[in-house]
Amino acid sequence: MATVTLRGIRKSFKETDVLRGVDLQVGDGEFVSLVGPSGCGKSTLLRIIAGLEGQSAGSVEIAGAAVDGLRAADRNLSMVFQSYALYPHLTVAENIAVPLRMRRLSTAQRLPLVGRFMPGTTARLREIEDRVQDAAGTLEIDRLLDRKPGQLSGGQRQRVALGRALVRSPAAFLLDEPLSNLDAKLRVHTRTEIAELHRRLDATFIYVTHDQVEAMTMSDRIAVMMGGEILQCDTPARIYEDPVDLRVAEFIGSPKINVLPAESDSAGRVSVMGRALPLQLEPGRRALSLGLRPEALTLTRRDPIFSGRVAHSENLGHEIYVQVTLDGGGHRVVLRADPALRAGLGLGAEAGLRFDPARAMLFDAEGRRLRGVVATAPAVREAWA
Amino acid sequence: MTRFSPSLIIRHLILLIGAVVVLAPFLVMLSYSLKSPAEIERGTGGLFGAQEMMVDPKCALRSAPRRADVEAARDRFPGRDDGAILATLTEEANAACELRPVVFNYRSAFQDAPLMRYLLNGVIVTASIFLLQMVIALPAAYALSKLKFWGREAVFGLVLFCLLIPVHAIALPLYLGLARIGLTNTYAALVVPWIVSAFGIFLMRQFFMTVPDDLVDAARMDGMSEFAIVWRVMLPTAIPALMAFAIFSVVAHWNDYFWPRIVVTGDRSLFTPPLGLREFQAGADGNLYGPMMATATVIVVPLIAAFMLAQRRFIEGITLSGMK
Repeated sequence: MATVTLRGIRKSFKETDVLRGVDLQVGDGEFVSLVGPSGCGKSTLLRIIAGLEGQSAGSVEIAGAAVDGLRAADRNLSMVFQSYALYPHLTVAENIAVPLRMRRLSTAQRLPLVGRFMPGTTARLREIEDRVQDAAGTLEIDRLLDRKPGQLSGGQRQRVALGRALVRSPAAFLLDEPLSNLDAKLRVHTRTEIAELHRRLDATFIYVTHDQVEAMTMSDRIAVMMGGEILQCDTPARIYEDPVDLRVAEFIGSPKINVLPAESDSAGRVSVMGRALPLQLEPGRRALSLGLRPEALTLTRRDPIFSGRVAHSENLGHEIYVQVTLDGGGHRVVLRADPALRAGLGLGAEAGLRFDPARAMLFDAEGRRLRGVVATAPAVREAWA
Repeated sequence: MTRFSPSLIIRHLILLIGAVVVLAPFLVMLSYSLKSPAEIERGTGGLFGAQEMMVDPKCALRSAPRRADVEAARDRFPGRDDGAILATLTEEANAACELRPVVFNYRSAFQDAPLMRYLLNGVIVTASIFLLQMVIALPAAYALSKLKFWGREAVFGLVLFCLLIPVHAIALPLYLGLARIGLTNTYAALVVPWIVSAFGIFLMRQFFMTVPDDLVDAARMDGMSEFAIVWRVMLPTAIPALMAFAIFSVVAHWNDYFWPRIVVTGDRSLFTPPLGLREFQAGADGNLYGPMMATATVIVVPLIAAFMLAQRRFIEGITLSGMK
């Protein structure tokens, strides 16, 4: 187990910059997710850490030692691939044993037939077999050991791929969208299992995914990547509640955060869609974006900030997502409502909305988070509450 | 139940005609290999020949009675003149040389020419060619499909270009080269010119393109060297494609008459099966079609048998549907 440190990693393919200076510090035993939309460079970054791809600039350190220029095989990392990448001609047991066979046995000992008679081979082989049994036991695939990958279901192949990764003790595990080929139910199940596996092994995990739910539920920290950069790297809670960039706020959270146009006047008072808010920024006139999570909006009959009509509602059983088209401007917002309120939320029903200004997030025109937001006069604040 | 619609019947008729055109020569070969020379010449005897007893002309010539034989036999036929004794002795000798045409043809095939030796040579040559072609083509195809290096596309273009070079165009330079280093009339002369197969490299490269990159990356993470990846990962996944290549390679070189005819000039112990056919070429006593066709049958049977046995895998390989 070890730390992984990235310093100023850049990668360009011909004219295109895929990564533009990525710094990341992954602690010993930490579970870090790289999350972002497809094409953001997260997989390339993982491949650079693995040594499967060379970086154009910057350095990778594993356990404090630079590994640049070291072959993938010599970096002591394990990787789980999206397609599982099991050897189709080998049984499950042989698949899991490959990393050990390649490392513990000499070239002569690996020879077919003759290898068995080399000194020390039998002991090594027995040791490898024990490790394979252990790994299979951990993942509950002991009964599949004699099968070929072609005879396994997607979930079983997934486990074999995990088994092949954890059969030896690498410095870190790299996982490249390992759940994206599983069906929804199995994905939720395996998510829990991988998180538990991480706790049990106490190993360093770097996990690439485009699914923010996976990142939120499993990680110690999430690095949100976009356009070849890490926009924010923090705990799931802080990424969700305190995003530093509008793109992060929009990417994380389902349903998506509501974004409404807002502006500040020369005194720094913030107003949204013509309504003054008890929010104060540095003085200066500028265009802003106001971000509101669906749960920050509440329905109200008395003195709403926005009013509109219900355009669509989705009943998930334990809660309802209500889409409301706002009067004046036609913006549509989503809010999370209690199913008990369903009766009053028919299509076209009038809905008044309000929110706690403290839960509103302000972003400037470039999408950067603006802070130093303070409530103005207490009296105004009270009137809102 | 399927009805026989006119279009279906026409389609089958066309296919049937095609099959007849392809199979007729084989049928003639098989039929001739069963018939006596007289039947072949007169075109009688149907498909299998009448299989009436015939006299082996060589045997008859060998055991024809000489002067001494007549002298020695005089006691057995008292009171007869020499002419009658000679006639009787000739008849006896001929009777001893009688045999069925099919036996005559196939026995001549194996006796007059060392056909077993030729078949063995065929196996040695085709097997060595195929193995060496694999040793060259697999790493080359791997590099051309999975490794990134400067000029890769240009190299692949050259491989494609090599596909266009006809064998006969370079036969003379090849022969001169081999003759200069003294390799004519050796197994090497039969094998070496074919071990770099542009077709093999091309076919395997196309197949390797369909192997997911993740598999190669997984092997690298597992600690395999690039050569280990070729032999331990790519080779086993490429078995169907290799099978397809094996058919093309083995059939082409087993049946090749042109190249062995050029580089094996004197040494009959190096003859490959097709060269064996020359043994029955027109001599003073005319063509011996029966034994010749028997030889031809013996030559093609191993290929047909191999194809029958592995038919499914071969077709799988040609359609390259083995991987998923």
